[in-house]
Amino acid sequence: MTRRERAIRSARRGTVITGLALLGLTVVYVRALVYTPVERLQGLAQKIFYVHAPAAWAGLLAFAVTGLLSLLYLITRDRKFDLVASSSAEVGVAFSVVMLTTGPLWGKPVWGTWWTWDARLTSTLFIFLLFVGYLVLRGAFNDFEIRARFSAVLGVMALALVPFIHVTVYWFRTLHPEPVLLKPERPSLPGAMLTTLLISIAVFTALFIGFLLMRHALTVLRDIREEETVDANA
Amino acid sequence: MPSRSSHATGSWLPVSSYDTLRTCLAVAGKDLLVEQRTKTAFFSSLVFAILVLTILYFARDATAVSDLDLAPGALWVTFTFAGMLGLNRAFLLERENRAVDGLRLSPATPTAIFLGKVLGNLAFVGIVELVSLPLFILFYDVPIWRQLGLLLLVIFLATTGFVAVGTLFSAIVVRTRFSEVMLPVLLLPFLFPPIVAAVQLTRRIVALRPFDELTGWLSMLTAFVIIFFTLSLLLFEAILEE
Amino acid sequence: MPQADPTLSLHGVFRRFGYRWVVRDVSLEVAPGEAVLLVGGNGAGKTTLLRVVSGLLKASKGRVERHGAIGMVAHHTMMYDALTARENLRFFGRLHGSTDRTRIDSLLDRMGLLHVGDERIGTFSRGMLQRLAIACALLPEPRVLLLDEPLTGLDDAASRTVIEVLAELKASRAGMMIASHQLVELVGSADRVGYMVSGRMAALEPSGDAEQVVTRYRELAAGE
Repeated sequence: MTRRERAIRSARRGTVITGLALLGLTVVYVRALVYTPVERLQGLAQKIFYVHAPAAWAGLLAFAVTGLLSLLYLITRDRKFDLVASSSAEVGVAFSVVMLTTGPLWGKPVWGTWWTWDARLTSTLFIFLLFVGYLVLRGAFNDFEIRARFSAVLGVMALALVPFIHVTVYWFRTLHPEPVLLKPERPSLPGAMLTTLLISIAVFTALFIGFLLMRHALTVLRDIREEETVDANA
Repeated sequence: MPSRSSHATGSWLPVSSYDTLRTCLAVAGKDLLVEQRTKTAFFSSLVFAILVLTILYFARDATAVSDLDLAPGALWVTFTFAGMLGLNRAFLLERENRAVDGLRLSPATPTAIFLGKVLGNLAFVGIVELVSLPLFILFYDVPIWRQLGLLLLVIFLATTGFVAVGTLFSAIVVRTRFSEVMLPVLLLPFLFPPIVAAVQLTRRIVALRPFDELTGWLSMLTAFVIIFFTLSLLLFEAILEE
Repeated sequence: MPQADPTLSLHGVFRRFGYRWVVRDVSLEVAPGEAVLLVGGNGAGKTTLLRVVSGLLKASKGRVERHGAIGMVAHHTMMYDALTARENLRFFGRLHGSTDRTRIDSLLDRMGLLHVGDERIGTFSRGMLQRLAIACALLPEPRVLLLDEPLTGLDDAASRTVIEVLAELKASRAGMMIASHQLVELVGSADRVGYMVSGRMAALEPSGDAEQVVTRYRELAAGE
């Protein structure tokens, strides 16, 4: 199978996965609004949590994928890792934006303020800024080899940075509720809410995979076209 | 005759620590010599530092925020931006006439070149900091003299972390157009942890808090410096090759 | 083929920039004391080939073997404007592990720059910079010398000096690759001529006089 055929096949897979994930998203909405109990203290505003937290998860996942594939690129110098890393960064920007917009929408009614310098919110802001910096840097180079190498260096550095940012803000101060899911003993969310959250996380993970497959296929196809154009001119 | 293939030249492991030290000192010495000749970057950074210290002093409600509350943040904002002015210069210098190619043709290892550039930048930023520190103490009337050693330690740690990452990134952005804009965009997220830690430490030091209250931030700052110095050193080779 | 133990061997070297292949499948060996002149139009890949040979650029495919120190003269001086000629040479000497001041002075003297040794090179003319760059390339006593347009900016007297120096280096068994459009001056220094046409070494043949070389180049370029 040629590279073009593989890319087209993976684009199709991406479309199918994205379609299924979008169906899943309506399930999440319906479930969150109709079948999940209203949170006692936060009221209806808490419903946005079922989008906010999974979007943050998908953004973080994209960030980790970009960072790890950057590292793999630097070790192997195989371009395919760079193409996946950059596609993942672009998808990650979308999820970070969802996270950064739903956060204040939730925060205003619950905390009485649009923005709070909480550790997770601030870390996500930085992840967003690092993604944008990464993509701006990529745009600054014409040669794809230099672009891949330099942005991979930034990707690896950024991966190591985020834990430091998290700790810094956490020590500075935190308003956010305690971690609700990954508590060692038992999750503190009631069963129905937890189920909705887990479904939503699965849906956002699928969305991430679907977007990534499509974006990556597009990058590969563009790459193939460039290669053919230049070869034809040479 | 020693034979080197194109694959063997990329090794970042020092051939011998003496060679590394010699190259490192040569590169740093050369940078400082060039700086001493032109002096533009040094005086620009210094004047810039004084201006920022002055503006920040007036950029507050003096009845609500005391000098001592403002001082730590003002100090580190000043150091950060003044330092960044100097960092861009470090690789622009190598870029003109492609002098960096001369370095790369020589047997100097990327490790030695990186350490030399870091040392040169550290000296440059360190001198700017040491000259503006007394002005800071004067302007903000900070009772620091008894704790000066501790403050200098914090300045040394934070500056080392800042310069190591900054040296790596200035080598990246110098290859782009608009490098002056690109450097802050890429570098500032990486300065967030060390600068916040340094501000918190400075705040406690000028307030004469007991040492116990410093250890948390101090260990975070130290961990940052160690991890990012090492990472920058390892990744620098990937920037230098073409 | 040249005799055993070449100073330099290239095995199927390719280099691409972005999607464009700039050097394609170049293989050659340079024997000690041999000079290869690279001839080709603008964009034929001469400069890129020299940069790959020097190690400044990695080969995208293929292999380069270098035996001994490399000296290079390129389009850029690769030196610091704010430093004097002597300081520049001393700095690069130190990187190569030698701080021999008499050698620096004798190189400056050979290139006719001794009287301006303590002036900042930012004030130098094109020709002075070119001569200084050649002095710097000779500093590590290279076994392989790579020269990209070595005569640009040089007057007749300086060109003659450079050609003499090249002859001395050949006599001391250094290998050389020279890229230049100044065939008349340099063809006499070359043992072989490599004809570069769109990134390929179209032919690698014994040198002749300038007219023969030009005729042969036109023939090959037309064949592409």
